[in-house]
Amino acid sequence: MSRVELLSIHGARRAFTKDHAALERASLDLRAGEITALLGASGSGKSTLLRAVAGLEQLDTGEITADGVTWTGPKTFLAPEQRRVGLVFQDYALFPHMTAVENVAFGLTGTDRKSRALDQLRAVELEHKASQYPHELSGGEQQRVALARALAPRPGVVLLDEPFSGLDRRLRGDVRQRTMDVLRAAGTAVLFVTHDAEEALESADQLALMDAGRIIQHGAPQDVWFNPVSETAARLVGDVQVCATIVSQGRAALPIGSVASELDDNTPVTALVRPQGIGLTTEGTLNVTRITYSGPICVVSMEAEDGSSWTAQIPATETINIGDRVGATLNPAFVTLVTKN
Amino acid sequence: MNIIAVLAAFVCGLPILAVAAIALGGGSTDYLRHLAETRLPTYLFHSAYVGLVASLTAAVIGTGLAWLTARCEFPGRKFFTWALILPLAVPAYVAAYAWLDLSQAGAPLDRMTLGLFPTVRGSWGSGLMFALVLYPYVYLLARNAFVGQSADAYDAARTLGASPLKAFWRTSLPMARPAIAAGMALVVMEALADYGTVAHLGSPTLSIGLIRAWSGAGSLLDAARLSLILVAFALIVFGLERHGRKRMRVQATSGKQRPARRFELSAPQAMLACLAAFLALFLSMILPLGRLAWRALREPMASGLAEASLNSLTVAGTAAVIATLVGLTTAYALRRKSVLGTAAARLAGVGYAVPGAVAAVGVIALLSGIQRWLDPTWESLTGNVFPILLTGTAGALVLAYLSRFVAAAISPCETALTRVTKALDGAARTLSASTRRRLLAVHLPLIAPGVASALILSFVEILKELPATMILRPFNFDTLAIMAHQFASDERLGEAAAPALLIPLIATLPMIFVARYLSATGENGASR
Repeated sequence: MSRVELLSIHGARRAFTKDHAALERASLDLRAGEITALLGASGSGKSTLLRAVAGLEQLDTGEITADGVTWTGPKTFLAPEQRRVGLVFQDYALFPHMTAVENVAFGLTGTDRKSRALDQLRAVELEHKASQYPHELSGGEQQRVALARALAPRPGVVLLDEPFSGLDRRLRGDVRQRTMDVLRAAGTAVLFVTHDAEEALESADQLALMDAGRIIQHGAPQDVWFNPVSETAARLVGDVQVCATIVSQGRAALPIGSVASELDDNTPVTALVRPQGIGLTTEGTLNVTRITYSGPICVVSMEAEDGSSWTAQIPATETINIGDRVGATLNPAFVTLVTKN
Repeated sequence: MNIIAVLAAFVCGLPILAVAAIALGGGSTDYLRHLAETRLPTYLFHSAYVGLVASLTAAVIGTGLAWLTARCEFPGRKFFTWALILPLAVPAYVAAYAWLDLSQAGAPLDRMTLGLFPTVRGSWGSGLMFALVLYPYVYLLARNAFVGQSADAYDAARTLGASPLKAFWRTSLPMARPAIAAGMALVVMEALADYGTVAHLGSPTLSIGLIRAWSGAGSLLDAARLSLILVAFALIVFGLERHGRKRMRVQATSGKQRPARRFELSAPQAMLACLAAFLALFLSMILPLGRLAWRALREPMASGLAEASLNSLTVAGTAAVIATLVGLTTAYALRRKSVLGTAAARLAGVGYAVPGAVAAVGVIALLSGIQRWLDPTWESLTGNVFPILLTGTAGALVLAYLSRFVAAAISPCETALTRVTKALDGAARTLSASTRRRLLAVHLPLIAPGVASALILSFVEILKELPATMILRPFNFDTLAIMAHQFASDERLGEAAAPALLIPLIATLPMIFVARYLSATGENGASR
């Protein structure tokens, strides 16, 4: 069967209790061949949205359509087995009483299901473990079997729920790389849920940020990182420091410098400053209060004259000591001004 | 304490060793040869038949109800979750008295259905009675399995194209299979151990043969040999049960699991679910106990009922307290993983597979052996005959109970102790708590409910016990079970009704506590 070219989630709402909605008018489009990462803190509604797409969760209001066909709507609810989505669960949910190849063959029909399951296992380089049971496989192998099982029936959409969170940190990068290669080769629309910003930024073509049941920003990862729409959005993808100020004569002044702004004068704005955007000079009024090394990077904490705290990320090759007085330069690309509405 | 545990567990295992020693030791007898040529195949066939009917029926009832209460939402579910365990308080023979009385020719069920309702009799009838009152074993284990299963496996099957029914059939059910098998094994073991039901309904199983060999032919050797066959039978089932439980552990995959949310049933479905759960209680408790109550009320109170009740309570209470103490100390020994302790605990654990009649034969073999050695020793020392006959005392009876039911106390204690993790102990130690304080302030609160349910479970089991009591009871010492059995076998059901009814009545109240404790799993956080 054919893959889904466009999967649309529109105004999805789902409340489990009266005063708390897991989803609050969430909208998102997924396209074939694109890997979309859904990034959010725990409890932000990511998994609920994913499960709603799979048909494991109903919606109170809102619609989910695939190429114009309604999956979930006011009067329609397509059963999960009729949606043809491939879902990789966080704990993999492998059937413990079936071997790897039996797991993969579960969603297949026809006389050649065994051989097709083996083909799929080969695609994740696990053909040699075909007759092993899940508990005999390592965590990374289990993850790959789960991926093969989800992909085997040639699903129209692939969903992954925190697929790498159960893995050892050192393994994770490698498994992630391989998973993404397999997913790109499949060419379907992919949505994967994660709370790891680095993972989302590195793997996805599209990044959707979720907070309190809403999609608050959606776009290319680089764009989201450099141009967050709010403080919450900025914090989801990386460290940021926040400072309230007012635009004056086309510039927004901060205790450590100023950046140009096209906003009207006297507009109150919030400046979102990434630590990577602050450079240090030898002369100035900032007092160095703490220095943390992390391999090639040095994180410098400073206090400005007005008492505000700032953090800069500089190469660890520079020499700096606690108590030094330093100056700062601001790289405007790393600073975003947002207005409060 | 370790030593006491090992000794106690060992003593409980002794009778079965004595049976084996006698059975394997003596020469061949005519009775046994005669038996092998005539009745033995019949005994074996009917034991297998009863076991099969009982376990399969119990599996269907228990698994179905477990699925309903674990994974579906319907009015009354919370009540049924624990209430469905209560039939364990009803001895199978009590259900058999009532059901035969209800269904034989001319009885209400026969008349109401114009003779269509079959008389509950024979091996299928016995199997059915066991299924009715023993299905809770399957129910409990299967329910825990269903509750413990991550919903993800079921959901995964759904996204891979399986309908709800197919997803249940291909994932939830097979994943619960070891648990269901373990429950079925318990049902078979209990069915093999029974005497009252098969005697009343006329199903010639091995335990009938055993009691006949003992009371008819009076031969300890033959009884011991039949016992060994029965034990071998039971041990195979016991082994299957252990195997099943091991596999369960393997299948409980690690990692974060999402508890299953229950399905909201539609109104007609919910009605059916309610009806199914009610039917199980109706058929196993309400109808048979109601019939017996009706019978008892139309009959003058049998003399000796009060005394029999007191006897029942005394021996069951004493034996249950000792069994629990042994169970608890053994569980501690197991926790410490000492080799000797584990061996003793496993030996005592085998006792559960030993039918009561066999345990009784074992106790007789053991005690008469000791007596044979004591008599001349005592005589040479004092010039008199040893004053006490060891067999035929309440002590002998309690020993038989212990050898059979200590296992029933060990495993809940073991489970309860798993709540006291090594980390908790470590935390208490680093906070410099004394051993006494650790036991009182940390262990006791955590294990108390589990130990209480071990106590109640063994009490109820002993209260229901018939064959060992028949063989070992002191002269003129009647318990409720004995009284009920004697009247029932004399076809005096009216008089049997009162003692038969008293057993489940006494057992039900404490069982409610156990039922609520055992069914507490999966009740928290399972439904959002």
